[in-house]
Amino acid sequence: MLARTQLSSSGLKMMKSQFTRPMAVSSLRRCITTLPQPAGGVIGTVNDAYIAPPASKTHGSLHWTTERLVSVGLVPLTFVPLVTGVEYGIADSILAALLLVHSHIGFGACIADYIPARTYGSLHNYAMYLLSFGGLVSAYGIYEIESREKEGLIGIIKKLWTA
Amino acid sequence: MFRSRLLGLTKTFARSMATETKAPNLKTFKIYRWSPDTPDEQPKMVEYKVDLDNCGPMVLDAILKIKNEQDSSLTFRRSCREGICGSCAMNIGGKNTLACLCKIDKDTSSETKIYPLPHMYVVRDLVPDLTHFYKQYKSIQPYLQRDTVPEDGKENLQSIEDRKKLDGLYECILCACCSTSCPSYWWNQQEYLGPAVLMQAYRWLIDSRDQASSTRKEMLENSMSLYRCHTIMNCSNTCPKGLNPGRAIAEIKKSMSFA
Repeated sequence: MLARTQLSSSGLKMMKSQFTRPMAVSSLRRCITTLPQPAGGVIGTVNDAYIAPPASKTHGSLHWTTERLVSVGLVPLTFVPLVTGVEYGIADSILAALLLVHSHIGFGACIADYIPARTYGSLHNYAMYLLSFGGLVSAYGIYEIESREKEGLIGIIKKLWTA
Repeated sequence: MFRSRLLGLTKTFARSMATETKAPNLKTFKIYRWSPDTPDEQPKMVEYKVDLDNCGPMVLDAILKIKNEQDSSLTFRRSCREGICGSCAMNIGGKNTLACLCKIDKDTSSETKIYPLPHMYVVRDLVPDLTHFYKQYKSIQPYLQRDTVPEDGKENLQSIEDRKKLDGLYECILCACCSTSCPSYWWNQQEYLGPAVLMQAYRWLIDSRDQASSTRKEMLENSMSLYRCHTIMNCSNTCPKGLNPGRAIAEIKKSMSFA
C-alpha cells in the first residue's frame, strides 16, 4: 500500500513523457508488461514463512557445479595452446563447446536476474527460447568452424589478431 | 594584590565571554522524508543543521538531537544504542550501517545524507518494511532440530571445536544491512533469501547438534533461494558487525556441490 502510491505518481510522469519518445520505443514499452506484485512483497499473512520454489537438483547444486567445472576447465584449454602452440584438434573443439556452454549459462543467469518469470511472466520464457535458439545457431556455427577451418576456433582468433 | 585579583577576574570573564560567542560547529544532515499521511507528495530530502560541539559522537546521537530539538516528526527505529539490537540500520553516507555504530563525519564542509535501507518498501521516513525479510528468516527454521534426545535427558553436548564453527555466525543481529546492500537481493528479493538469512541457514547447517541438514539443504535446492548469489560481496563489505556472510554462502554452495 505504502509504496504503491509513490509508484502511481511516477507512472503518471512516465505516461506524460511518453509523447516525446520515438514511436518505436513507446510501442516496445507497451509490449513489455509486468505482472502485478503483492503489496510489500508479502504473500499470505505476516506470520507465514516464505515458501521456497520446488526443489530441483538440476536447477540448484548440479547447475552450480557444472557452471564451476566448465569455468575451471576453460582456463587450461585457453592457455595451453597459447603457451605450447600444440596442434589444433580435439582440444580446440572442446574449448569451443565449453565456451558455448559457459556463455549459455551466463546469459541464462542474466535472464533469471533481470527478466524473472515472477514479474515478466511469459516474456521470461520468450527470452529463454531466444537464448536456446541462439545456442543452437552457435552450436551449428561451431560445428562448421571445427569441420571447415584448418586451425579451428583458435585459427580464427589468430586471423583476427593479425587482421 | 587586589589589583591583580581584579585583573584575573576580568581575564576569566573575558574568557567566558569568548566561549559563549564561539561559533557553533554546524554539520548539515540531509535526511530522507516520506509520510504515508500525505501519499501524493514525493519523498524529499530535508536539511537539518546540528552543532557537533553539543552532540554525541554517533549519527544516532545526531538524529535523536534533531528529533528532540528540531523536528519531532522525524521517524526512525532505535533501541539499544550500542549495536546489539539492529534497529537503527539505515543508509548513511552511501553505506548501509547502524546509526549507533557510525561516527559522525567531522568534516562540516560536506553534508551527510541519510536514507532508509535501499530497495525496501518504506513505511515512513527511515523506517523500512522488514516483513518479508522476517518471513524469509522464518522459512529457514532457525532453531535446533533433532530426531533423538540425549539419553541422560540433559543438554545436547558439543565439542569445543564444533562450537568454534559457530563463531562469526551467531553474532548476526539481523539488521538487514547486508541483504539490502546486495544487488541480487534488490532484483529478486521476493525469491532470493539474501545474505543475512543464508548466513543463518549456514549457522544451523554446520551446528553439530542439529540433525535436519538434509531438509535444510533441500529447501535451498532451486535456482532462486540460494543460487542468485553472484559473490558480489557487498554483504561482507557493509556488515556493521564485521561478519562475513559472503563466505557463509560460499560454504553452503561448496557443501552442496558434490552432495
